[in-house]
Amino acid sequence: MRQLVIQLARFGDLVQTRRLLRTLAAEGETHLCLDESLAPLARLLYPFAVMHPVTAHGTALAKLPPSEQAARLLGVNAPAFRELAAIGFDRVYNLNLSPLNYRVAALFDPGIVRGHVWDSGQEIVGQWSRLAMRWSAMRRIGVNIADFWAWHHPSPIPPAEVNPPAKGGGGGLGVVMAGRESRRSLPPRVLAGLVAGLLDVRPDLAAGGVTLLGGASEAPTAHRLLRELPPRRAARANNLCGTTDLPGLARAIETLDLLLTPDTGTMHLAAALGVPVLATFLSSAWCFETGPYGAGHRVLQAVTDCLPCLESAPCEVGVRCLTPFADATALTRYLATGAVSRLPEGLLDMESGFDALGLVFSPRAGEDRQRDLRGQLRKLLSRHLGAGGNWTDPVSRELVERLYLDRDWLVPDAESSASRSLRFVVDA
Amino acid sequence: MRVLVVLPMYGGSLPIGRYCAAALRELGHLVEVFEAPEFHASYKALKGLRVTTDRLQYLENSYLQVVSQAVLAKTETFEPDLLLAMAQAPLSVNALKRLRRDGVPTAMWFVEDYKLFTYWQAYAPHYDFFAVIQKGEFPDALRAVGVEHSLYLPLAALPDVHKPLELSSTERRIFGSDVSFMGAGYPNRRLAFRDVAARFDFKLWGTDWDGEALLAPFVQRGGARVSSEDCARIYNASKVNINLHSSIQADRLVSGGDFVNPRTFEIAACGAFQLVDRRSLMAELFAEDELATFDDASQLVPRIGHFLAHPNEREKLARKSRTRVLADHTYAARMTTLLNFIAAAKPGWPRDRAGTSAARMMADLPPELAGEIAALLERLGLPADAAFEDVVWSLRQRQGRLDGLDAAVLFLDEWRKLYARSTKKD
Repeated sequence: MRQLVIQLARFGDLVQTRRLLRTLAAEGETHLCLDESLAPLARLLYPFAVMHPVTAHGTALAKLPPSEQAARLLGVNAPAFRELAAIGFDRVYNLNLSPLNYRVAALFDPGIVRGHVWDSGQEIVGQWSRLAMRWSAMRRIGVNIADFWAWHHPSPIPPAEVNPPAKGGGGGLGVVMAGRESRRSLPPRVLAGLVAGLLDVRPDLAAGGVTLLGGASEAPTAHRLLRELPPRRAARANNLCGTTDLPGLARAIETLDLLLTPDTGTMHLAAALGVPVLATFLSSAWCFETGPYGAGHRVLQAVTDCLPCLESAPCEVGVRCLTPFADATALTRYLATGAVSRLPEGLLDMESGFDALGLVFSPRAGEDRQRDLRGQLRKLLSRHLGAGGNWTDPVSRELVERLYLDRDWLVPDAESSASRSLRFVVDA
Repeated sequence: MRVLVVLPMYGGSLPIGRYCAAALRELGHLVEVFEAPEFHASYKALKGLRVTTDRLQYLENSYLQVVSQAVLAKTETFEPDLLLAMAQAPLSVNALKRLRRDGVPTAMWFVEDYKLFTYWQAYAPHYDFFAVIQKGEFPDALRAVGVEHSLYLPLAALPDVHKPLELSSTERRIFGSDVSFMGAGYPNRRLAFRDVAARFDFKLWGTDWDGEALLAPFVQRGGARVSSEDCARIYNASKVNINLHSSIQADRLVSGGDFVNPRTFEIAACGAFQLVDRRSLMAELFAEDELATFDDASQLVPRIGHFLAHPNEREKLARKSRTRVLADHTYAARMTTLLNFIAAAKPGWPRDRAGTSAARMMADLPPELAGEIAALLERLGLPADAAFEDVVWSLRQRQGRLDGLDAAVLFLDEWRKLYARSTKKD
């Protein structure tokens, strides 16, 4: 088999494509079309894959005159697209609902494309992606995006084989300053309290020192954090903000004992390297969708009623999901003791694990109120994907009718549950 | 400019819609066609249900609403400067109201007889421009129902399809005869051709000839529909093409009606000879020495006999009528007239799209890539100064897989929408 994955999204998404890519690698020749800026990291993460870098991201390019933009994009992309069109893939996985992805899909026979298909000028969303859009409308439930991408394939590798189990390497505590979405990140003062508390309760972390991580734009935040930390902690901190490229970042984090981070690409990279993650998820970050992939990671998940929200919409309730993180003393007391009663209100302490579908998060402390409904969704999806199970135990009627719509069974679809099963039979 | 041509599901105006699209392309416009015929099979399937009539009507109406919605969706995406609908185009009144609300100029070319197809009274006021093939009281009637802008736009020929052909001996045997008629079996024709069939080497082409025992032996291909290409072969292969305008009245075989049918122009453009019944609007379209005519059914047999015996007269008339059609009666000329009429009635139309010139945008390309882009424009039939947006739409119309450069241009367009909004208008 010769297969292509089109993943034109950001750093974190590239890392979260790992389950699918490793699945394909076991079947033969694997190719990856991605933004050129991510190619060096992708070569580290996916040494088995043939890279097809294109110019897709454009923040810097957008400042150039249109004719220079055209020269750059056509100059890089036309030869890359020609090469892709000439290769002769057996299957193409086009993962993102993006106009750019659709245009790349136009290079291929629609019959071999899964996900987002271009058919003679018409953009078509495959059935699995349509289903995902429906469950995404119920975000409190959520399915991990790495699993969603992987299940474009009829039988992806087991989730436990995707990333190594989390294990510290003696390199101390890494702290990620901020994600791309600022509301998801803890302000420096709050973060400083949590860092100081962690170092107090985990002498092993303190022994390894503190490494601050982030891009050049996060350097001022790092300086503020250092000012907020106790001087003896700040003195031992190693501020790498703005000094590493992506491969350098991977080297900087691979030996850490723990990475304290919001929902960031660096978090996913740490999980891919088996570095234990303690993540702070608030605002639009929801661990059931984008939590760190692998066994042994923890997420402090805010659960105010308004979450998960849309990052693009302004918060009209004063970012109240930040409140549970604000009392660093209370939070570190909880982290030190693990006493359920000490967990700040509005927070869940979630631990990663697996089921047949993929990554799950279970509460170490706090009440996950959507647990039963999430279980129902996973049962329905498992059946959809061919796992079967106890059919006399029906999935909630309401959920079935929200997720399965007429269009799914009224016309044949290459990604339907029946077609998946058929493929199992044929492949066998 | 961008024109969306909305075809009917089937019928006589269907080929005319295709000719309009071809002519508009020939004039350099970017044309998208709404292929209503592709929806016809589903519509017909409803009739095979054997359900109660109220159910069937409900289903048919619902389906036609869906098709109307499809036209609206296409309009939203394509953003035409003009939506040109042919008679019987599947556009509901609600859809037309929506188009007017959204500021999409609409025109219908009503290539039907308004006295027979009387539904225009309901929908004509919802079009901005209404082109017709008749004069007389029709313009006043249109004004009376609220149509502000109507124009007389006679039918025409498409020289790329209707042209002199070099036919093989086999084609001459299949399509040729001394005398032929190509068209549907209207009552006046059924009666008029009995005599002709009995006296000449005669072939009858087209549909709806069932139940006419005297003519049955002359009906070709079992009365099947004939393609535009085969029509041209028939015209080219026949010594005398009878062209008798249709009439549902059997008591007057030559109706002496007003409009001139498309066949008149098509046979002429083929450089073929026709004997056509005189129409009241014919004199302003053709001179007396450009067409052989007849006024009464009784003249038909003697006139055919005369022209069969005088091939030079046939050739002279055929040459003159072809010259006249190529000069004045092509679909390109008609579309020019229509667009000029709209432009005169609608100041500021078509609006300036403030598009980006593809040439300016590609100014910094290395020579090899610039050459490929130039070749691409030529392949798409676009001028060198085409707007980038038109290049993109032309690429989107392509069927099947795209090649690397095509996809890269589409990718660039989407990238600009994502990242370079502020620099779009250069």
